[in-house]
Amino acid sequence: MPEAVQATKAIWDQNAAPRHRIQWCPGCGDYAVLNAVKAAVTSLELTPAELLLVAGIGCSGQIRNYLNGNAFYGTHGGALAYALGAKMANPELTVLVMAGDGDTLAIGIENFVHACRRDPDITLVLMNNGVYGLTKGQDSPSAGLGQPDWKPSEEHPPFIDPVEVALTCGATFIAQGFSGDPKHAAQLIVEGVRHRGFAVINDFSPCVTYNKVNTYDWFRAHVETVPASHDPSSKAAAWDLVRDFQRRGKLPTGIVYRAARAKGDGAKRLPTWPDELARADVEPLVKRLR
Amino acid sequence: MTVNQMKLLIGGVQLRDGVSTVADLVGRILTRAGLHVLGVERNFASTIYGAHQYDPLVVSARPLVSWGDRAIDVLAGLEYDSNPDAPQQPNRDTIRQHAGDLVDGGVLLYDSSGGPVETGALQARGVQVFAIPARDIALRELKKEVVKNLIMTGALFRLLEFDQDERWLRRFLEERFGRKGAAVVDLNLEAARRGRALVERILEDRRQSSVGYRIEAVRDAAPAVYVSGNEALSIGAIEAGVRFYAGYPITPASGILEYMETYLPGYGGRVLQGANERESIRAALGASVAGVLSMVGTSGPGLSLKVEEIGVSGTTETPLVIVDAMRAGPSTGMPTKAEQGDLTLVTGGGHGEIPRIVLAPSTIDECYTLMRDAVRLSDRYQCPVFFLTDLNLSEGRMTVPESVFRPGRASIARHVAAEHDVRGERYLRYRLTDSGISPRLIPGQRGGISKISSTEHDEFGFVTTDPAMRVAQMDKRMRKLHTYLREDAKAPQVYGEVGRGLTLVGWGGTKLALLDARERLRRDGIEAAVVHFTHLWPFPTHLAKPLLDTGGPVVVCEHNYFGQFADLIQAHCLVPTRRVLKYNGRTLYPSEVVRAVREVTHNGAVAVRLGGKDPVMVEVSIDA
Ligand code: SF4
Repeated sequence: MPEAVQATKAIWDQNAAPRHRIQWCPGCGDYAVLNAVKAAVTSLELTPAELLLVAGIGCSGQIRNYLNGNAFYGTHGGALAYALGAKMANPELTVLVMAGDGDTLAIGIENFVHACRRDPDITLVLMNNGVYGLTKGQDSPSAGLGQPDWKPSEEHPPFIDPVEVALTCGATFIAQGFSGDPKHAAQLIVEGVRHRGFAVINDFSPCVTYNKVNTYDWFRAHVETVPASHDPSSKAAAWDLVRDFQRRGKLPTGIVYRAARAKGDGAKRLPTWPDELARADVEPLVKRLR
Repeated sequence: MTVNQMKLLIGGVQLRDGVSTVADLVGRILTRAGLHVLGVERNFASTIYGAHQYDPLVVSARPLVSWGDRAIDVLAGLEYDSNPDAPQQPNRDTIRQHAGDLVDGGVLLYDSSGGPVETGALQARGVQVFAIPARDIALRELKKEVVKNLIMTGALFRLLEFDQDERWLRRFLEERFGRKGAAVVDLNLEAARRGRALVERILEDRRQSSVGYRIEAVRDAAPAVYVSGNEALSIGAIEAGVRFYAGYPITPASGILEYMETYLPGYGGRVLQGANERESIRAALGASVAGVLSMVGTSGPGLSLKVEEIGVSGTTETPLVIVDAMRAGPSTGMPTKAEQGDLTLVTGGGHGEIPRIVLAPSTIDECYTLMRDAVRLSDRYQCPVFFLTDLNLSEGRMTVPESVFRPGRASIARHVAAEHDVRGERYLRYRLTDSGISPRLIPGQRGGISKISSTEHDEFGFVTTDPAMRVAQMDKRMRKLHTYLREDAKAPQVYGEVGRGLTLVGWGGTKLALLDARERLRRDGIEAAVVHFTHLWPFPTHLAKPLLDTGGPVVVCEHNYFGQFADLIQAHCLVPTRRVLKYNGRTLYPSEVVRAVREVTHNGAVAVRLGGKDPVMVEVSIDA
């Protein structure tokens, strides 16, 4: 490892909760997500001051304290909305949302849907494990994956596939990764951050304690890399890919869809500092009332 | 002859007859002519089309008059027809509902295109009736229905002997329609002339030249504008430095969203119409985290949805201004009627204990002036600051001298740290300080990072449940309130001398009625002072108690059932209060206050409830 990279890497361990204070179960998929994010921000050559991590509530949300960089932690389901406002206010920040499937697809689905529509330049790493780990294993909206005999009812409806929701609602970058391959996940995060628009990375991050179906081994048996022949810029191709994998009972890993939306002039940082606010003469507003 | 002191009422069918168009045109033109107009009793419906809508306007040569009582001097009914859905039921709500409030000798003007209205009883008590077929003339002679509004305006101006040379109207129309071409201006002016001529003819027939009411332009009046509370507070916010606004459509706060969407981008800001109430406030918090002065606006139902984020703002110490334009609750309540029912929600809403500040402007000019304080306090104390208006203050309009606005003023001095401010010591977002205020480095700035957390945290921002740190952080956050009380809380406004008689206490939009009531009481030989609060929470006990604990009766007047502010006073000042309460969706009338005061002073009432079927309901203390 070159020295410079090593130094940057070390930076991301500073200001973070020390390793012995990490409170994830041994073997939790979230460790791999943490490593992937660290690798991604290192290779993006970001400094901690430039980063704003917005975390959801759940086991996954703890990640904000295990990594250097600014972080915001609010209410359950709100992460994408806070991130939206922060990015609108300061486009110079790299805004990374780290949230689980309960947070994103249940209580926060409203924000997920509208973030896809709005297409802010933020990256969502959806740490997907099918359960509410922090509250001891209740089903999340993505529970039921890989269970063909799942008997749907009002109490236990079929699972939501965030990739499909994102495709439907207009996200402009959609990818899927797996904690069993953090290097690949890191690449996806890098691509997501570089993408100018809303990047959704559905990252399967097994809960070793409560999800006895979607285990590492189960995922290993079911993930399959998106074929090199796939054209991610075509939405039709993306849907075909998703359906083809579904038919075969497989989960694609890689970039499913990527097509930046044409937008107006680059957004600017909103006036924040006194010199930027100096030009606040409201005379024209008063004049208009005459 | 009554000159420059009267109450007009303009009514008609909502969205069809242009009630607010005419009312605002009259208000604006009279303001330009140097008069003071108060139009805060706006009455519209939550249904869109077809409901009865009306706008009372008080016109005066003096500033800050109250809206008075129900009595009106001049009534203008813009509706013209039978109700299309129920032809047997003439749609004459303006006359049916308000003619009874006309003073003897008052004036009724209405559009008789749909046929005349029986007004014999009114005429018998001296009401002067002017029936003009405005819509017929607009359609047949001017070929454009909408100019019926100008025909009625012209008629109204003639009745009031105002703008005989059409100077004011012409200038107004030229400015408003000039871009559409001279023909449009001329058509409107012609319409106004027709209206004038019609009234002239009736007067001639009656060998009369005047109806006894006159509006005269005031010479050399200081320039003023006719502005709504929503506009005034938006201007205040923009001037103070707010550059991110988020809202969700809701009556009566939508006006702020619309205003901001139109004008904030011109100041480099952005406006977000959230997909729901929660997205709005969360995005605003996000923008504030990123360092931008942020504001949201809503009304009661929206605020209920936002409550979870009040705690986020308080605990993460993220500044936010939250405008609550109160309407009658609970639940959906009466969306188009004002109330002061949210005080308990803004002072106490949310789980756990949250540091927060609550301000309430009492007039439309204060919507502008006090907003600067709200923005500054949110930035300084890094907490939610509520700005409580109500439907009347927000949607209503009032003449405000231009000198109140202070163009050219810089924004507030910001309380954020830059890299050089935190050099030398390790930057800790939640550093324990004597004032309770911690340094706040904006993400993106070098010199440190902020772990901003809604979970209980240590000084750095890491999660903790350590008892000592929990207490230290809780105390630190609450210490800000003490600092605020010491350095920024303002004493209530006092009119008259406290301690010489009874004290009328109010907050928010009731002030003008209380001042009017005070005058009336004095005329009756009852000495009263008015103590009116703008800084409601944290309750400024040290400033309030000396004013209220004087031995005389303390009569708290407010628009809610329980007497929410009276409860605060009793709890914090240990002073017993009497309550005058009105929650029927209508404004507080000075005459009601006077009557309630009598009930308190003569009959020992502890609470007087106004505006029900019986106008006054009195509660007498059982232990009295
Ligand atoms: S409960 Fe599951 S998701 Fe939570 S830390 Fe343990 S393994 Fe990870």
